[in-house]
Amino acid sequence: MLKKFASVRFILFVFLLISVLFAAYSIYYKIEYWGFSFMPKTNTNVWTVEAHISFDPTGDPIKVSLTTPRSNAAFKVLEENVIAPDYKVTKNQSASRLILSASAQDKPQDIYYKIMLFDNVASRGKMWAPQPDEPEAPFFDEQKLAAAKQILELSKKKYQGDRVVQIIKLLNETPLEPAVQAYLPIKNTQSVMVEIISQLLALEKISARAARGFKLEESKKSLSPDLMLEAYVNGSWRVYDIKTAKKGVPDNFILFQRGGKSLIDVEGGENSVIKFSVLKSVTPSFNLAKQRAKISNSKSWFDYSIYNLPLAQQNTLKWLSIFPLAILVIVIVRNIIGLQTMGTFTPMLLAMSLVKTGFWPGLLCFAIIMGLGLSIRFVMSKLNLLLVPRISAVVIFVILIMQILTITGYRLHFAIAQSAVFFPIIIMSWIIERASITWEEDGALNAGREIIYSLVAAIATYFVINSEYIRHIMFAFNELNLVILFIVMLLGTYTGYRLVELKRFRPLVRG
Amino acid sequence: MFEWLKKWTSPSKLKRAGVMGMNARNFHVISKYNNRRLYPLVDDKVKTKTLASKIGISTPKLIGKIEFQYEVKNILQIIGAEREFVIKPAQGSGGKGVLVIKDYSEGIFTTASGKKITYNDVYKHISNILSGLYSLGGKYDAAIIEELVHFSDIFKEYSYQGVPDVRLIIYKGYPILAMTRLPTKASGGRANLHQGAVGVGLDIQTGKALHGVCRDKPITIQPDTGADLMQIEVPFWREHLLIGALAYDMTGLGYLGADIVLDARKGPMMLELNARPGLAIQIANGIGLKSRIKEVDKDYPEGLSAEERVDFVLNYKREK
Repeated sequence: MLKKFASVRFILFVFLLISVLFAAYSIYYKIEYWGFSFMPKTNTNVWTVEAHISFDPTGDPIKVSLTTPRSNAAFKVLEENVIAPDYKVTKNQSASRLILSASAQDKPQDIYYKIMLFDNVASRGKMWAPQPDEPEAPFFDEQKLAAAKQILELSKKKYQGDRVVQIIKLLNETPLEPAVQAYLPIKNTQSVMVEIISQLLALEKISARAARGFKLEESKKSLSPDLMLEAYVNGSWRVYDIKTAKKGVPDNFILFQRGGKSLIDVEGGENSVIKFSVLKSVTPSFNLAKQRAKISNSKSWFDYSIYNLPLAQQNTLKWLSIFPLAILVIVIVRNIIGLQTMGTFTPMLLAMSLVKTGFWPGLLCFAIIMGLGLSIRFVMSKLNLLLVPRISAVVIFVILIMQILTITGYRLHFAIAQSAVFFPIIIMSWIIERASITWEEDGALNAGREIIYSLVAAIATYFVINSEYIRHIMFAFNELNLVILFIVMLLGTYTGYRLVELKRFRPLVRG
Repeated sequence: MFEWLKKWTSPSKLKRAGVMGMNARNFHVISKYNNRRLYPLVDDKVKTKTLASKIGISTPKLIGKIEFQYEVKNILQIIGAEREFVIKPAQGSGGKGVLVIKDYSEGIFTTASGKKITYNDVYKHISNILSGLYSLGGKYDAAIIEELVHFSDIFKEYSYQGVPDVRLIIYKGYPILAMTRLPTKASGGRANLHQGAVGVGLDIQTGKALHGVCRDKPITIQPDTGADLMQIEVPFWREHLLIGALAYDMTGLGYLGADIVLDARKGPMMLELNARPGLAIQIANGIGLKSRIKEVDKDYPEGLSAEERVDFVLNYKREK
């Protein structure tokens, strides 16, 4: 027989372990892919970036290839939308390019590409990429090579920092060194600068490439992408501002494209222009995560999760998903600590009321209702009423007490009294009835003890379920309820002593 | 500063003393040896009485039974010429709802405490019983009226009003622990430890007092009468044990509490049985239930008759 119990415990333990693993994976998944957070009420910036591509068709079949931002940088893509009615849209995931193709057109074309991004603060600055091959030395004539080498020497002498920083700083001096001025072309665009810096770095055997992106600023209605330089330094790709040599991706800067390929290629079109506009909004992280999860790969899974329900149902379920934890508290109070409470789940329901009324007002109200109710019940016990009518009378009295408390509370602007309505009437009546019976049967001592123990259990439960933090976690990661289920079942096999028994059975231990 | 800690002990010490906790009782003993199907046999006192008379256990005589509210008005007819009787719920537990009438004449009922009550009070009490006030889970219940036990004089100086009884714990048919429960003023004349009655552990082989306990604290004198509890020695001890052993044969419950009263004229009578007897008996005995249960599992033979089991218990040599 003992073996059987051991195996029950073992099976439950295995289930608990499985549920913990499942919950751990699920939590990881929700955080990583749905963007859920342990913290309630954090806000996240959401950027809506719209790329407007326009070009004139040449009369050939059209193929537009647009670089799209990847999610794994500082920003995560929440939603992606292409408005191009006559185009066939394909996505090249590995190269993060969007390819739109259509048959020959005759009117000027407009394509809109819209993405919603959100700040992924946690992963900002991490940009791992495979180690590149050693760059090929640029093909320079002797004169140019000498000039380049002079610049490299100069930069090393004049500036601190890594080679990239040194070079960028030298090229951006005002006024420029004569040697640099001679080296740079007259018409100096961003892309030319990136090209020159890359060539210089190649001489030093440092791989470098252009990265395109732009600063997310709401005010700008129409902006064109900035070029940044990406160089492979100390085992990872780093982004440099080509004007200030500042390392890293600037705040709110979204890298659209990395790796030197063009931002947009248009076949069958000319005079192509790409313009970006940015809109910023602030959304509670949790709502955002839900929205995001909807469009994530695990669409079908999410469809069956709580977060896809209408808000009203969600609020009910949010309330429900804290119950298992409250039940766990009750199980611990009764079976591990060993306090006898009035009814098994009465303390839990009291705790729920306390959450609605607030702690002290709730306790005060409870005391008033109990006090008045018990006195009325004692008067009634002299009337020899039968059980059901008597309890019913107590229920009505409790309702009257609540009404009086609420009305007088309102009249006297005494907010505490108004919280009376949140107490469950039937529960209060039962507590009064039970307490008065226990009082008559087992004496005031036992009755008082039962009330106190019930209150202690209720207060313990209250502190667990009233925490905004715990409530959020239990709702956002509702798979934890499964873990609680198996903990409760495992506690059902706990045959050790209850805490109060350590005192109760003390006389049995000699010495 | 750590004075309060001395009132507590550690789980390992309790374990060594063989003490059984509530969780262990429910999990290892009750759920294992007490089939839920058998509970009605002990929860319903009418059923218990019928079974007991079949197997030869004497119980207080049943005067009448009231099952429905319309029958309550017949109470006086049911009582008939009886002058003393007890009204109790058929499925009550822990002495709840027991009304002891010491004397009834000319419409006045005198209770055990000497309080005089009227027909209306009795009527209300029975109504309460029927509406399930005293039964487990508030189920509708029946009221039974049975003969009043005239408890033996030997308990007189040890109890304050009420009916003192002997509680036996029977494990696999073997009585393993015993105590006598003595009503006090605090318990309102009821033999219920929970309400403040005194419990005195009795040696299972002799029926002699071991330790006294009141509200889970050790005592040696009756708080109301001042009598020395350690002098208690229950007579007809073998008969007591035999009732316990037979109660097992009758119910099939492997872990059982039997409440036995000693009537001055009729000897030991079984009052009621309990499928979930409490644990305070350990304190009264100074003996852990677990140690006794282990002893039975290890040493005691199976398949003996009730008489043989009682003899086995009485002759068992326990190392001290």
